[in-house]
Amino acid sequence: MSDDETMRRAKDLERRIRVYEEMEENNDWRGALQLIDYAVLVMLTLGLVIALYTWAY
Amino acid sequence: MSSNSKVYLRVAAERGDAPLLPSERMWGFWEFSYANSALAIATWAFLIGGATALFVGPKEGIAAIVIGNILGVVVMAMSTCVPCGKYGTEQFTYLRSMFGTNGSRLVYLLAVVFLTMGWLAVLGLMFGRSIDGLTGLLTEREVQPQGLLVYIAAFVSILVTAYVVVKGPTSIKVFNTIVAPTLVLIMGTMLYLIFSNHTFDELMALSALDAPFEDKRVNFMIAVEVNMAAGFSWWPYLGNLARLSKNERTAFWPNLIGVFAAAALGEVVGLLAAAAFGDSDPTVWMTHIGGIVFGVIALGFVAFANVTSMINILYTSIVGLRQVIGKQLREIKWGFLVVAFCLPPIAIVFLAPGIYDGFFIFLVWTSALNSSLAGIGIADYFFLRAQRINLRGVFASDDLSPYKYLNGFNPSALLALVSGFVVYVLIFNPQTLDNVSIFQFISASLPSCVLAGIVHLVLTRVWVKKMGWGAYQ
Repeated sequence: MSDDETMRRAKDLERRIRVYEEMEENNDWRGALQLIDYAVLVMLTLGLVIALYTWAY
Repeated sequence: MSSNSKVYLRVAAERGDAPLLPSERMWGFWEFSYANSALAIATWAFLIGGATALFVGPKEGIAAIVIGNILGVVVMAMSTCVPCGKYGTEQFTYLRSMFGTNGSRLVYLLAVVFLTMGWLAVLGLMFGRSIDGLTGLLTEREVQPQGLLVYIAAFVSILVTAYVVVKGPTSIKVFNTIVAPTLVLIMGTMLYLIFSNHTFDELMALSALDAPFEDKRVNFMIAVEVNMAAGFSWWPYLGNLARLSKNERTAFWPNLIGVFAAAALGEVVGLLAAAAFGDSDPTVWMTHIGGIVFGVIALGFVAFANVTSMINILYTSIVGLRQVIGKQLREIKWGFLVVAFCLPPIAIVFLAPGIYDGFFIFLVWTSALNSSLAGIGIADYFFLRAQRINLRGVFASDDLSPYKYLNGFNPSALLALVSGFVVYVLIFNPQTLDNVSIFQFISASLPSCVLAGIVHLVLTRVWVKKMGWGAYQ
């Protein structure tokens, strides 16, 4: 890889990392999993496990 | 910056050299659900369903498929899809924060390379058996699962796979667009044919094909374990797909549609057909399910679909291998690397063909590893790092990175991995199916996952943190 290309890639990586650092600073995580997601997930998992186990036995 | 240069840098990011920005990610909820389902609906679903039918009847089998897959997929996706979906980072690059640079390479070798080699051999043999079944139907002769034709066809399938992968990704895309929708169609037809010949109650009353134990609860838990292993077996692959989706939610929830629901559906078809036709091998029951014409079409397509799956996993593994190992491997010619990678699976086909009939043993062995990896991932990301990763550190060179460990290995994560693996084998030996009494209540994957997580948590707090390794707060 040429020096030019290495430099271009390093600059691009730096740009991308900065975007994420800004998101972190502003706590700007759109579409992040919330308490409601975890609650639904636990209920769904336990519901399926209990319902299917009860049905099979 | 020229538009060519922008495209080049974006492609490099897509390949994992840099994190993808949220604005660049192409998949919303439905796009990722579709891609996820296309991955899940493959011929291995028939094999897993057939393996389930060995241990339990269809009623318990459906329960085992749903319970095993939901548990495996949820834990797997929490540990890989959530962090990769948040930061858009390639999975094994992200794992440097957890295992260290060299530790991440080791995990790649264990979890991806060996797994891929095993799957190449299994799918190659399935291709061989499909060709044998197909010629058997056409020439009205008995199938010969151990015959020379099977091995030669398996060998040829691996050669074809290698040839396509050497040629590059363009040809791979063409195959992918055909396989998933056609397999859905074939599965639908199979379900229709099964229910044309049997009522639901008749099917539910059938018993296991080859239950190894007297105790039904132990057999049931083995079936759950096989399916949990199937859920966990996505661990090495899904983080890298999830990073293409727009945010955490779209990186996580589609897994419940794809690798959970779609895969479970395919496995249920395999389970019902195996139970109804009295053979766990899909290449055998497909010759009975719908007469000669359907049998020939189904077996021919299954053979084709197997090669497609083989091409996908071989291509992904070698791209990842070059990314993870680095410069030394990138200098080796692509074609040479592909051929070298295919030699072990070819050796397995000829020297250990039993891997096909006992394929669930191989699958369950991988769960001993994947369940521990998932446990460590959850403990590290959610509990030790409070869902915050220093991306600058992940991409920095070893000497500048805050994620510095002992010679590039995080000892606590590796010790946790070993503990999880050992506990798994002590509770349930995948080779012999020997198990201790607690297995029938808690399985082996769940305790292995929980223990590996706890060991990593405790060792990090009492040792790694004090040594100043890994930037733990």
